[in-house]
Amino acid sequence: MKSTIPVIIAFLSGLAMVAAFILSPGKFGDVGGELLRWVSIIAGFTLLLGVISIVRVNIRPVMRREKGWYNKLALLLAVAATGIPAVLPVSWSPMLGTGDNSIYDWLFNNMNAPMMSTMFAMLAFYIASAAFRAFRARNTEATMLLVTAVIVMLWRVPMGESLFASIHPDLPQGINNYVMGGINIAVQRRIIIGSAMEAATMGLRIMLGIERTYMGGSSK
Amino acid sequence: MNFARRFALTFFLTLILSASAMAQDNQAPVDEGWFRSYRFNAIVLIVVFSAAITYYTNRAKRGEKLFIRKLAGLDAVEEAVGRATEMGRPVLFIPGINEIDVMDTIAGLSILGRVAKITARYETPLHVPVRYPMVLAAAQEVVQQAYIEEGKGDAQDRDAVQYVAGEQMAFTATVNGYMMRERPAANIFMGAFYAESLLLAETGNAAGSIQIAGTAQPEQLPFFIAACDYTLMGEELFAASAYLSHEPIMLGGLKGQDWMKVLIIAAIITGTLITTFSTDVEWLNKLFEVR
Amino acid sequence: MSIWEKIGNVDRRWIYLAVALTVIFPVIFPLKLPMNVTPEARQLYDAIEALPDSCVVMLTFDYYASATAETRPVSIAALHHLFRKNIKVVTMTTIPLGGPSMASEVTRLMAKEYGKTYGVDYVNLGYKANYTAVLLGMGTSIEGIYPTDQYGTHLAELPLMQRVKNYEDISFIFIVADNGIVDNWISIVNAQFNKPMGAGVTAVMAPKFYSYLQANQMIGLLGGMKGAAEYEMLVNKPSMAVSGMNSQSLVHLLIIGFVVLGNVAFFAARRRKGTSE
Repeated sequence: MKSTIPVIIAFLSGLAMVAAFILSPGKFGDVGGELLRWVSIIAGFTLLLGVISIVRVNIRPVMRREKGWYNKLALLLAVAATGIPAVLPVSWSPMLGTGDNSIYDWLFNNMNAPMMSTMFAMLAFYIASAAFRAFRARNTEATMLLVTAVIVMLWRVPMGESLFASIHPDLPQGINNYVMGGINIAVQRRIIIGSAMEAATMGLRIMLGIERTYMGGSSK
Repeated sequence: MNFARRFALTFFLTLILSASAMAQDNQAPVDEGWFRSYRFNAIVLIVVFSAAITYYTNRAKRGEKLFIRKLAGLDAVEEAVGRATEMGRPVLFIPGINEIDVMDTIAGLSILGRVAKITARYETPLHVPVRYPMVLAAAQEVVQQAYIEEGKGDAQDRDAVQYVAGEQMAFTATVNGYMMRERPAANIFMGAFYAESLLLAETGNAAGSIQIAGTAQPEQLPFFIAACDYTLMGEELFAASAYLSHEPIMLGGLKGQDWMKVLIIAAIITGTLITTFSTDVEWLNKLFEVR
Repeated sequence: MSIWEKIGNVDRRWIYLAVALTVIFPVIFPLKLPMNVTPEARQLYDAIEALPDSCVVMLTFDYYASATAETRPVSIAALHHLFRKNIKVVTMTTIPLGGPSMASEVTRLMAKEYGKTYGVDYVNLGYKANYTAVLLGMGTSIEGIYPTDQYGTHLAELPLMQRVKNYEDISFIFIVADNGIVDNWISIVNAQFNKPMGAGVTAVMAPKFYSYLQANQMIGLLGGMKGAAEYEMLVNKPSMAVSGMNSQSLVHLLIIGFVVLGNVAFFAARRRKGTSE
């Protein structure tokens, strides 16, 4: 029963979404839209799960003064400092809530956003070290990949574009057409089609109850 | 019935049924009758697709042996966990950074179940940071079930699966910090990844971990291929569940969908030839248009 | 260990240092690099240029704060173009963390420059959960999805929203995004409601959307900071993206240099090992 009921729910929900896609809205109502709204509501409740998990996992090392406890204390204080002013009513003070000029807004714009940008910027360093380490012409395919990567890297910057244009005026557009608009599209489409087919198969397997590992069961 | 006859029958049946969609008024969707007539071609595709999957699943159930090619990345999972056990270091598993309603995440959780069984068997510490609370709930259930099935329910670390942060870069920073402090012997990234893919993989490489990644996001594959030891590309991620279990029913589904790919290839070739040699291709656009 | 093996195994921190210096150098000593405009950027510019004055364009802020270096210049250049043409702008976002703040901040900044009035010339709808329902729902009624704007004002009280009820009243959708939401815009809005749209995305995502361009499901594409720089040049407002291209050019050349050096070291070490054996 414990595993049968979720499978039945999965089947009926999947069937409802497929039916909503196929059947006229007048005949079936807005079942699809309604189910999507239910998902939003459930997702809202599960946010609480996340907060409980963070607090539970981090408060014990702080209380026991385990290794690195001060980092976990900083985390808990950050959760409190961001979360508590955000959920308090704006009527108490204009600095509460999540609107413009609130504490939440200030923390986001002056701490969160710069930190997020910094993390993203690290990609530049990491791609340089990954390229140095991994881009080796070990075989024919790797060499072709390497040459294409160098061509595209040059093409994407003004300096490189000018270099190509000095070789032949139509060369930059040729790279755009044949590399980006040719080989690139073919590969992207292949991956997208393959992944979409597999995702659809997985969806069908979940609907039919064959695939159950996502809910802790073994597949049938 | 041999391959050629089966293929021809399916292809032309699909074409004939879809051609009836052109008889419908595809200019403006009109809600008449029970079905959305302007989606008839999609309905046909759904029917053919489901029939192919079901047909081969039934053949697999009847005992027919189905071939699946080697996936080096998945063969390396047990080896990676074994390495972690020998070194006395944990295994880090990330089931992607997207929500539970994304197929990539479900595929990742499927693989997590298998990995958790192996770590339960060898009593290797497992760490699973997640980005969404719903994924947390599902992953906890998956890991718990895996440990129970291995008879190691008591050995399970309740905090193995942790909700880390809801924000992408905060999640990445936390996981990177964990990798540099704990130095897991094996990192397994299976699911949907975005900008943080290289940040995670390169940090794992710096920490000296063996890394196995799998994602269906085409733009992230180059980063994983550059920084990881093994990479599953696109549909290989979704096939992992079938591959690891080797259950005939799952393999049957794979074969059915391979058939659909053959149909798509035939449609692409046919469409290319028609577009190249014909001046009027509006009917072809209408045939494949889905609204 | 031979010199080539040492080079091949160089500590990655030297690489990081080289990248840092290469990024900083053109900031201190700016370069004047010629900029060519790709057909994709030109296509998007022409599509906006062809729109009649006073029509309505939906501008999306579907990016996180982490990607602002690539996407914020696109949003700003887009608003330069739209406000200059007197086009009315409705903004929305599918990013809960920071999306509404960024939309608010950027539109306020640009509205001040062009003397635009909130509620008359532009409206910020903000964020609503469940993007599938939002994208689908706006096809029927925007007010059904957003009863109020992001500041809590009822849409009925905003003059611009008196005439913008759903996608029928919107001439073009300009998506600025750093994630896969563009796929949903194409598959839901373009496919089902036939709305013309163009996108400014991060460089990593851009190759994926060339197939949409080829299939005419998208009109124009700006990829990364280069795309943003091209658009800035087209609207004649060179700014952050154009100046950022200096650093990007040099770093690309540096990475190519690293790749070549790595391969030379790899082959030299392999040859040396073969000779000694």
